[in-house]
Amino acid sequence: MVDNQETLLKVEHLCQYFKAGGGFETKAVDDVSFEIKKGEVFGLVGESGCGKTTTGRSIIKLYDITSGSVYFKGQRICAGTRSYKEAIAKAKKELAEAKDPAEKERLNKLIAEQKEEMKKAKEDHKHADPKLVTQIQMIFQDPIASLDPRMTVRDIIAEGLVIRGERNKEVIDQKVYEMLELVGLVKEHATRYPHEFSGGQRQRIGVARSIIMNPELIIADEPVSALDVSVQAQVINLLNDLRERFGLTIMFIAHDLSVVKYFSDRIGVMYFGKMVELADSDELFAHPLHPYTKSLLSAIPLPDPIYEKARKRIVYNPLAEHDYSVDKPSLREVSPGHFVHCNDAEFERIQKELNA
Amino acid sequence: MEKKLQVRNLRISFRTSNGKVQAVRDINFDLDQGETLAIVGESGSGKSVTSKAILGILAGNSIVESGEIIYDGKDLLKISEEDFHKIRGDKIAMIFQDPMSSLNPIIRIGRQLTEAMLLKGKARQRECRNTFNTYLKNLNDTMIEAIAKGDSAKAAELTANCRNFDKFEFKHIELEKKYKMAHEAAVEAVSDLDTLIFECEKKQPSKDAAYWVKDVEVRSKESVSDYVVTDEGQELLTLSRGLSSAFASARKDNDYSVLLPRMKKIRDILKRAVAKPVPNFFRMGYYVTFSGKPLPDMPVEELNAFLLEYLNNNFMLAFIDDAKIALKYSADRSYKAMQEAIKELKDGKSVFDKAELDHKECKETADRLEAAVKATIDELAITKDSLSYTFGPAVRQQIENYFKAIHTNVKAVKAYERDKRKYDRIVASGKKPEWEVADAAVTDLDLIKKNIERIIDRLVEHYEELLATSGNRDYDKETVGVIDFLMENASGVIEKITKRIARDKAIKLMDEVGIAEPHKRYNQYPFEFSGGMRQRIVIAIALAANPDILICDEPTTALDVTIQSQILELINKLKEERQLTVIFITHDLGVVANMADRVAVMYAGKIVEYGTSEDIFYHAAHPYTWALLSSMPDLDTNERLEAIPGTPPNMIYPPKGDAFAPRNKYAMQIDFEKQPPMFKISDSHYAATWLLHPDAPKVEPPKIIQDRIRRMQEKRGQNNG
Repeated sequence: MVDNQETLLKVEHLCQYFKAGGGFETKAVDDVSFEIKKGEVFGLVGESGCGKTTTGRSIIKLYDITSGSVYFKGQRICAGTRSYKEAIAKAKKELAEAKDPAEKERLNKLIAEQKEEMKKAKEDHKHADPKLVTQIQMIFQDPIASLDPRMTVRDIIAEGLVIRGERNKEVIDQKVYEMLELVGLVKEHATRYPHEFSGGQRQRIGVARSIIMNPELIIADEPVSALDVSVQAQVINLLNDLRERFGLTIMFIAHDLSVVKYFSDRIGVMYFGKMVELADSDELFAHPLHPYTKSLLSAIPLPDPIYEKARKRIVYNPLAEHDYSVDKPSLREVSPGHFVHCNDAEFERIQKELNA
Repeated sequence: MEKKLQVRNLRISFRTSNGKVQAVRDINFDLDQGETLAIVGESGSGKSVTSKAILGILAGNSIVESGEIIYDGKDLLKISEEDFHKIRGDKIAMIFQDPMSSLNPIIRIGRQLTEAMLLKGKARQRECRNTFNTYLKNLNDTMIEAIAKGDSAKAAELTANCRNFDKFEFKHIELEKKYKMAHEAAVEAVSDLDTLIFECEKKQPSKDAAYWVKDVEVRSKESVSDYVVTDEGQELLTLSRGLSSAFASARKDNDYSVLLPRMKKIRDILKRAVAKPVPNFFRMGYYVTFSGKPLPDMPVEELNAFLLEYLNNNFMLAFIDDAKIALKYSADRSYKAMQEAIKELKDGKSVFDKAELDHKECKETADRLEAAVKATIDELAITKDSLSYTFGPAVRQQIENYFKAIHTNVKAVKAYERDKRKYDRIVASGKKPEWEVADAAVTDLDLIKKNIERIIDRLVEHYEELLATSGNRDYDKETVGVIDFLMENASGVIEKITKRIARDKAIKLMDEVGIAEPHKRYNQYPFEFSGGMRQRIVIAIALAANPDILICDEPTTALDVTIQSQILELINKLKEERQLTVIFITHDLGVVANMADRVAVMYAGKIVEYGTSEDIFYHAAHPYTWALLSSMPDLDTNERLEAIPGTPPNMIYPPKGDAFAPRNKYAMQIDFEKQPPMFKISDSHYAATWLLHPDAPKVEPPKIIQDRIRRMQEKRGQNNG
């Protein structure tokens, strides 16, 4: 368990919408909030297309987020403007209908305030401290596609350093060799090209590339799902070693629940762009509360044929499970450290279940 | 249980610029009907090569060195490409690993789904017509030969009988088709209505609801027909007319109180119609064609009995008797030919036994043997004796290989000597070269000779077996089989697959594999689908032809748990429903536990352990299986994972001893020197490791596995108790 309770990353009401053509929008990530403590491994699970990867990429500023903010070490590094814009539009509409001068005064003030906030958000987003941002690094899913086939391993690993302004060849070489050794490769590998390596070795190169910048936070986007079982174990062990050695904080995005359970301290479950449950990993697996989590856990295959043949998958049908027509749901804390996406009625029911 | 597929001594290698890669080395396994075999191993262990060999889609640089893959009595490695067209996709289908790259990105899903159906439909129609005509003609000829014996009046009568059969058989299919369409329409309308009523009661109709309502309207109209919706037809038509506009207005007001009873009424009528007894159209076809009278008006059961009597008295009994005599005559003729063929084969075998073969002599012998074998083919047998059919091409191919190899071997040896000299020169100059000299890519001539002998031996054995069992053939049963066979082919001729039918079928398939809103999805492109959905499409395409054997090459590796679980359930469900035999290739042991009846663990082109899934998961014996099991975490694992060090060996230079020895912490001296044989642990469980030798030290499986098994047992004990 993590003793240090300092918050490293804080995500507040993160929304990431994509234009889907025809005036429609895809809400890839919709109002997601969570915190990552220093030194912990935060797992993010959910089915494909639920927005796990988008969340990770938004944090590292690969996308311009639509709304919400991301704080890293207390400083805002990403901010979206949609929420302010909506508030202003709403206020303006009310202003057009308002008759009372006091009311008008209030609305005008509100609009000015929101505009100010929006300006600040834009400023924060655009001019986030580059030194801070480089402390978040990413490991990508596909070890074949994420390495440039025309660059040598040395160039790939050193690219971040070079971009940051390091020009001394000896220093770079020194650092690259160090990283290669750390991830279990040897010095000679530095001059080779990615195609000369096996899948597991390539993923090691990806890991080396991400830790050369001395990051505080690594976003590992399905780092093992493209690998063979035996190699998976190698990479997981490697990440575990690095984590202990450097005190890294890792945000671990994956869909293999056994791996997530093995690796993470806390786990967030996402469903269709929403965070539906968030808890300590043991707690989550022992007492899943949201029906989607239950369904997800019932789908894990285990290496036990007798259990497997009897295993029944629980089907999750959001229409049948919830009635959100009147009572709108939100993420609520049902017991210390355990958050569930629910509305008032469900909240009461869960409380009753927990107390019983 | 029926053996569906047998793989014997399969050995495949690939020619590459660096040397010969031995991808599969001597593997054997059997597959029963309705069974799932999982092949587990790391990438590069030869799992996919094995499955591709079964499907006949090996890469161009592959060499099948020896072995047999027997499906339905045919050796798939020896049949011609044309014959393979009938098997590939139709009988053996494959689900590929990567749903992203196995679909064509610029063709709509619908077209990709129906493409094979339309193509195969046309081909099948043609084939059925041919089979039906040829078979009936053969039957007729044999009948004349066996019964008439030169009596022209009798011969004419027999011919007329066969013609009549032809006539009413087609009438039967026509009648049945009409009934089936109406019946299916009714069934579909009922299922549509079930969903609609459920949704309307909840006041939340889905996006597809309008389509369904329209479908119900059309289907109700279609289902009004003889023997389906008869008396209530008028009522049904009035009820269903204008249903979609009524639904549209109800949806606007979100008030379904008027619509619901109406839909329920329609459903009740259709449900009653679906439950009605089915008349026998085969008999009816005869009556309608030849009696010249209209059908008597009576309940279906009575009608069936009446028609049966009419058919038997007037036609069927006599025809069956004739057919039986013909069958027996033809079979006897074939047995006689077999006895002679055995003699010929035994004589001819000595030609291939010499130290050096003579090209001309070999060719002549092959021709002579083929002629003798061809004479044994019984044209009236329904299940074709494919060993006889493939004998000629198989032998000739091997002979060709032999004489080609004589030339290529000389070249290969030269190339090897050249490389070796170069290597020695470098070594002599004091450097250590980075590369090694690959062994000369020499084709084993003795192996080819042995292959030929094996082919001949097999056929002789096969004939001897047939002759031995010739006494217990049940010709009555076979004659009935013949009539069924003809009926089936006749229906194949009439069943035309138009684009519309293909579309309906495709949409049904899409629904079956769990794709929501199939009518909308039908017209979309692959990029509009998520990974799981794409994999479902791939499964639907594989299932479109209703195959016997389904090969799944890592179908869920690219998918996440929920989807993976759904896909696995889907494959399991389809397996149950269609009695599919499944070969499941994966490296995920959790998936294996769910799917497999039997498991084969492969490493470096060999099967190292083979057993039921219980054997493999609870009593694993090979260190490689241990390593695989202990490298994956489960939900209760807390200790450090035991990764397998190193990488699989380069199969250009296959290791001398056990291929896994260099990565194996339990390796003994003998593992590096000699390949372990398959040790038998129990009747179903085999493993190739020297640890099972009586002289070997006793080794316990790793702690992580023992702990896991104990934990599982405890958990199960808790659940039971």
